[in-house]
Amino acid sequence: MYNTLKAITLVHGVSGKEHRVANTIKEMIAPYCDEAHIDAMGNLIALKRGNGANPKKVLLCGHMDEIGFIVNFVEDNGFIRVAPIGGINWVACAFGDVVSDKGVRGVLVPNSGTKAADFAPDLFYIDIGADSKKNAERKVKIGDTFVLKSNLTKLNSSRVVGRPLDDRAGCGIVLEIAKKIAKEPVADDVYYVFSVQEEVGCRGSKTAAFTIAPDVSLTFDVTGTGDTAGSKPMAVKLGGGAAIKIKDMSVICDSEVVDKLTRIAKEKNIKSQHEILAYGGTDTSSIQMTGAGCRAGAISIPSRYIHSGVEMIDMNDYKACIDLAVEFIKE
Amino acid sequence: MKLHGRELLEYLCQKFGPTGFEHEVADAIVEQLGDDCDKIVKDTFGNVYALIKGASDDRVMISSHMDEVGFMITDIDGDGYIKFSNLGGIDPKVLYGKQVILGNEKTKINGVIAAKAIHHKRREDRFSVTPIKEMYIDIGAKDADEAKEYVNIGDFGVFNSNFVFFGTDNKYAKGKAIDDRAGCCAMIETIRKIRENNITLPFDTYFCFTVREEVGLSGARVAAEKVKPSRAIILESTAIGDIAGAPAHKRVADVGSGGVISLMDRSTIYDTDFVNFTLDTAKNNGIKAQVKRYVSGGNDAGHIHKSGKGVKCVAISMGTRYLHSPACVASMEDYESIRELVFAMLNNMKAEV
Repeated sequence: MYNTLKAITLVHGVSGKEHRVANTIKEMIAPYCDEAHIDAMGNLIALKRGNGANPKKVLLCGHMDEIGFIVNFVEDNGFIRVAPIGGINWVACAFGDVVSDKGVRGVLVPNSGTKAADFAPDLFYIDIGADSKKNAERKVKIGDTFVLKSNLTKLNSSRVVGRPLDDRAGCGIVLEIAKKIAKEPVADDVYYVFSVQEEVGCRGSKTAAFTIAPDVSLTFDVTGTGDTAGSKPMAVKLGGGAAIKIKDMSVICDSEVVDKLTRIAKEKNIKSQHEILAYGGTDTSSIQMTGAGCRAGAISIPSRYIHSGVEMIDMNDYKACIDLAVEFIKE
Repeated sequence: MKLHGRELLEYLCQKFGPTGFEHEVADAIVEQLGDDCDKIVKDTFGNVYALIKGASDDRVMISSHMDEVGFMITDIDGDGYIKFSNLGGIDPKVLYGKQVILGNEKTKINGVIAAKAIHHKRREDRFSVTPIKEMYIDIGAKDADEAKEYVNIGDFGVFNSNFVFFGTDNKYAKGKAIDDRAGCCAMIETIRKIRENNITLPFDTYFCFTVREEVGLSGARVAAEKVKPSRAIILESTAIGDIAGAPAHKRVADVGSGGVISLMDRSTIYDTDFVNFTLDTAKNNGIKAQVKRYVSGGNDAGHIHKSGKGVKCVAISMGTRYLHSPACVASMEDYESIRELVFAMLNNMKAEV
């Protein structure tokens, strides 16, 4: 479980450039599905057919993309100017180790003397150790993308820390579900969607949902917790189990899905908690509203320090998300 | 009469077509296209679709928007002064003292945008920007009744600006609505060139002249759902930063260096392979093109790329100084580069099954 997750976090996949993640997961999921294809936007859509007479369509979704930076200018002295892709926390990224889609290493730093309170995209650059524009352009061109280096590590407990857990953790969960479902008799058609461009406005899941036109959907993404020093009040705790989403800023989940997940968790003794997120949104909303709409729910992975280089989750929660989803699909 | 190149661009730019009132532009486009395409239709929203039939069922969409930034009349006061709102993003600093045309289906009249003159301002307010709600349009009416003989609440307005070619070899164009009549103009000329050369493309090509881009891309949203293309090329205008005082890393692109190809903007991340194909096509055909060096703005691709099952998009923009003003400045060399690039792309694209 951890090794699969670690493998997925090592692949570069900034929003708009997820093809390597898609190819990696496509290979991993092949033994557990009947067919898989990558659509025009880059979404990976895999299907495991059900054995029922009138199968419904269940869509499970995790997003492949991660936040990062896109190169938009190379200075005469070889410094690389970048624009953010997705919600960048500049304080969390300042003085960070970064690596490009072509494997070029560098550091992301603010202009000298900039106070943290004044951090803004235009005040940052990446130093790749080049001494001139010419030498920099040998390694980096406009349009290349950088990310904070992935660095997933086990802590001395069931907890792991590193990036990008948002949302390779969701991808990993969907993949583990596929492995389990392959062994079970399931009546419904299950579509495993690994979506693109969630971090820039839930764009990929919209077209994937249009293609599939599902009856029910479950989205797997990280959610914040209320258990860190100085955090805003929030009932979700790290280690508190799978977080059954009731609402966030973009979606009100289908109440039947919420009730069913809650009941199953209790019956099957799977640790769970309810999530109401006062900020942020996920693919749940775009899937819910595409085409004629669907019954949309989400199982979130409690995570501390989201969008930093030290995102932290608990592997017990991770497993609970998988177990809960599998039982849900079996019903 | 069929117009070409510069004359066609000037003709289209001088049409009255603010967001929500694009039909006079649409009529001009339909008239100019005549029987150059296989089919031409308008939808209920006002978008115009010109089809060139190809050899397969694959569909490629080329899109430019017909609307321009403008004004809508919100009130006429007792003195016959006209209060207005902007349609699309206009910097209030641009407005004071500018000439406008106001009108509806029946009439068009001249006016000027007015506010308290600098002489009447308090010293501390002299250099502050007057907000749009404190401006009004003066149409020379003595009172509300006289004003209402010409215009009503809900009528539209656009900048009134001479279209001028200037600079060495007259290679620069100045006028209103270059955003995005330049794109419309390039589409018309591309259609004609396909016809003149008797080319059968391996896919159906839908040239979509869209409405309402400036207020949220809503025309393109409808058009993409109707055409259901596999790929789309968006021809746009982009604000350009090669102006006095801009630091190098904020200079978006340069006027005169060819069409500006976007990698990413506020509404779209463009398909990497399609972008590379565009840049390669330019290079192989000796056509100037440049990459947009700053993440800003947005265009019809924002809705087109996530319509239906997803659409691979490329945006090629005309770098335009002083965008959304009565004096947009662009290079006719860039216009020609863009027109040639689109034609070369269509000739090198294969059908996607």
